[in-house]
Amino acid sequence: MYPEFTVHHLLHNAAERNPNKVAIVEGDAEYTYEDLARSTSALCAAFMEAGVQKGDRVGVYMEKSWEAVVAMLAASQAGAAFVNVNPLLKPPQVQYIAGDCDIRVLVGDSAKLDTLEPAMVGTAFYKGDEPSTSVAGSLRDVAEVLREGGDGHPERTVLETDLGTILYTSGSTGLPKGVATSQSNLVVGAQIVSTYLENTEDDRILSALPFSFDYGLNQLTTSIRVGATLILQHSRLPGDLLRGLRKHEATGLAGVPPLWALLLRSAKALEEQPLEHLRYITNSGGRIPQSNLEELRRLLPNTKIYLMYGLTEAFRSTYLPPEEIDRGTECIGKAIPNTEILVINKDGQEAAPGEVGELVHRGPTVAWGYWGKEEETRRAYRPHPFAPPELLIQEQVVYSGDLVQRDEKGYLYFVGREDNMIKTQGYRLSPEEVENLLVSTGVVREACAFGITDPDLGQQVVAVISLRDGDESSVDPVREYCVKNAPPYMVPKEIHVENELPKTPSGKIDRQTVRNAYADR
Amino acid sequence: MAVYTADDAVPEIRGWIQENVTGSREIPEDELLIEKGYLTSLQTVELVMFLEDRFGINVEDEEFSEENFGTIRAIAELVESKTE
Repeated sequence: MYPEFTVHHLLHNAAERNPNKVAIVEGDAEYTYEDLARSTSALCAAFMEAGVQKGDRVGVYMEKSWEAVVAMLAASQAGAAFVNVNPLLKPPQVQYIAGDCDIRVLVGDSAKLDTLEPAMVGTAFYKGDEPSTSVAGSLRDVAEVLREGGDGHPERTVLETDLGTILYTSGSTGLPKGVATSQSNLVVGAQIVSTYLENTEDDRILSALPFSFDYGLNQLTTSIRVGATLILQHSRLPGDLLRGLRKHEATGLAGVPPLWALLLRSAKALEEQPLEHLRYITNSGGRIPQSNLEELRRLLPNTKIYLMYGLTEAFRSTYLPPEEIDRGTECIGKAIPNTEILVINKDGQEAAPGEVGELVHRGPTVAWGYWGKEEETRRAYRPHPFAPPELLIQEQVVYSGDLVQRDEKGYLYFVGREDNMIKTQGYRLSPEEVENLLVSTGVVREACAFGITDPDLGQQVVAVISLRDGDESSVDPVREYCVKNAPPYMVPKEIHVENELPKTPSGKIDRQTVRNAYADR
Repeated sequence: MAVYTADDAVPEIRGWIQENVTGSREIPEDELLIEKGYLTSLQTVELVMFLEDRFGINVEDEEFSEENFGTIRAIAELVESKTE
């Protein structure tokens, strides 16, 4: 057995314990832990051949797939950090990310690689037909690598204090920022979550969230840690989701609020034929509407429901145990194991019960800040406020920006956010990123984006713009540009045109006034 | 029940997508709607509600799949099969 220090240690342990156990299911294909370990070694060797050094970043830009899983583990085994790029992102965001963290080796679907600029990376490993454009100086076919290699077992010395992955999230400067996450953050996250979800190798976990999302990645690491089976679910349309859960007799499912709204479309089918194998479900990425929660409890009477709260900056933070679910959907529970949650008031002191303060996370999942972004890192990652001053190497904690209060029994309740971040479809989206997108159309003079409450999405994105050419009033070209150049969750559901947007005395767009004017319509 | 062919349904589906998602851009009939990021799952739910209303059909849970909703042509064929 390997000690659990790195993500690929988790894999090698599982492969040693039970090599013939099915690790990954994709469509009709099943892959055992032995297959996974061998394929990982094959791709790891090919990465090294392609010049991947320890500490390098390897990008993964593809639909959720067997190859994507192998690519992450192979990067880990090569001592590199994997960077999962959400497959919904469009070339402008992908190019930004590749430049931001200097991705030189990229694993991707050919159709996606074809959309990117020539010579964006040094080597591209493609899945599918050979890409027609020259996205990379050197091209390799993933299928061929996996078919031919894997007998050796290349391994570099990789420490838990090496960089494991970079998780990109929306940034308030209008561009994505990458949360640098260590091997230890990833492994400890898997240990903690698999402990309170009581995962075992008998679990069959349906993976319906993207790996680029910390919470989605966690199903993979958790599953591998306990030697369970992970089922890769592509479509989230109600019929496919229900078929996936039934066909594979899934025991666990993690979702964000819109996923439950989709599942509940199948209420009748669930009533007629309950999902008796489904041991638990977990929600994160936003508050689930009370009515949907009650409907889930009714339709899944034997399924444990865990409400979770997490920040990409610290992976996972709190969860509400299933037996406490009557506390309501505002309740985010208590700290996950081996973690302390502080509630800090305006005076920098621990808030009294009932007093509102900022949620501050302390523990081993605190990540390493935003890649290359000093100012933002200093704002979110700060020294532990109550550590003895004699401790000269300061422990870093995460200031979440989320306002919470704690009740007498220690349960935490979500109150709101200090900033303007939009929470939509499980994504945390900065209004500035939406506004940048709108202005980059070339026809928009000024833009203000914000979220308004939507029962299923959490919030939906609304934008108010003024146009450069005052005579033009159609938003069609703006919408068209956004759909082409941004992921769907970033495209405003409504775009309103005004002649001019209201300003604050300092000449900035007055968000509050704009938002108030539209929130009530 | 009125009978609609797939060819009747195509412009209606395309029109809904333009109005609600893409703006003026016309999407080819065989373009992958979900995989290419035109439609989210929840937008697809809204589209289904529109289709049910517009064509007087009822899309069953198990029919609500990527196979049937992958392209404008596939959706139009589903509509045709339900109004025959």
